[in-house]
Amino acid sequence: IAVTTRGCLLKEVHLNVTDLGLGYRTKEELIFRYCSGPCVEAETNYDKILNNLTHNRKLDKEAPSRTCCRPVAFDDDLSFLDDDVVYHTLKKHSARRCACV
Amino acid sequence: PAMTRENNCLNAAKACNLNDTCKKYRSAYISPCTSRVSSAEVCNKRKCHKALRQFFDKVPPKHSYGMLFCSCPPSDQSACSERRRQTIVPVCSYDEKQKPNCLELQASCKTNYICRSRLADFFANCQPEPRSLSGCLKENYADCLLAYSGLIGTILTPNYLRTPKISVSPFCDCSSSGNNKDECDKFTEFFAENTCLRNAIQAFGNGTDVGVWQPMPPP
Repeated sequence: IAVTTRGCLLKEVHLNVTDLGLGYRTKEELIFRYCSGPCVEAETNYDKILNNLTHNRKLDKEAPSRTCCRPVAFDDDLSFLDDDVVYHTLKKHSARRCACV
Repeated sequence: PAMTRENNCLNAAKACNLNDTCKKYRSAYISPCTSRVSSAEVCNKRKCHKALRQFFDKVPPKHSYGMLFCSCPPSDQSACSERRRQTIVPVCSYDEKQKPNCLELQASCKTNYICRSRLADFFANCQPEPRSLSGCLKENYADCLLAYSGLIGTILTPNYLRTPKISVSPFCDCSSSGNNKDECDKFTEFFAENTCLRNAIQAFGNGTDVGVWQPMPPP
């Protein structure tokens, strides 16, 4: 169940492929899009209950995840040529749409 | 004389990946052209060719020609020129186990309607004319480059040869031409020694023919 809210937005940054830290050697670049922002407005009773139970220590030590601002669709694939003249294609590397999930 | 020599082909690739349309159609051909389908075949050549045709159909020339016709210094035989040669992913779209005779390849092109019409466009629009200033009979570089790029994704897919001068050829030669040696040589020279095509590629690469590349104003 995805709920779009004002806080959780798609943002973008212009990077070198090497900035991604995936181990590629290339001089090519990309636009990386990501989801960022608070999801408080989208919280359900489920999230409130989790919050209360965690606070009152009624649950196990590991706290279950709360609503997160995450990609619900990914950008098109990205291809680039590396310094050894080999092509690579990255899939699901960049966000297209965001939601509180 | 700049301190660091610009790599125009790298700059064109960067510009492509920063443009959503170019990025999308670039990876849409690189994927099939680099995916091994079996131990015997490096790729599905038919899918690779189809995706290459889509790339040149859908992406504005500013970006698609930017990569295909980028200019490299004549001394460069590696970083820039090699990147330009790799634009069409030649290992899949170009190379074959054996080099066929060019006239045989031309004959099989003529059995396919896309290939036949694109080859006819190429002969018509890149016809050299030594007496004209442009080097072309039809003095329109844009039409010649369009016709040349139209051959990419057909069985006559051309690519740059590893020569100091700009020279292109489909993957074929004129060995075992028999009595048709002269006719075959004429065919290969239209690709490899074509002043009109060479001037058109150089004019685009040097940005000396920029006016032609602007989108047409609405009627």
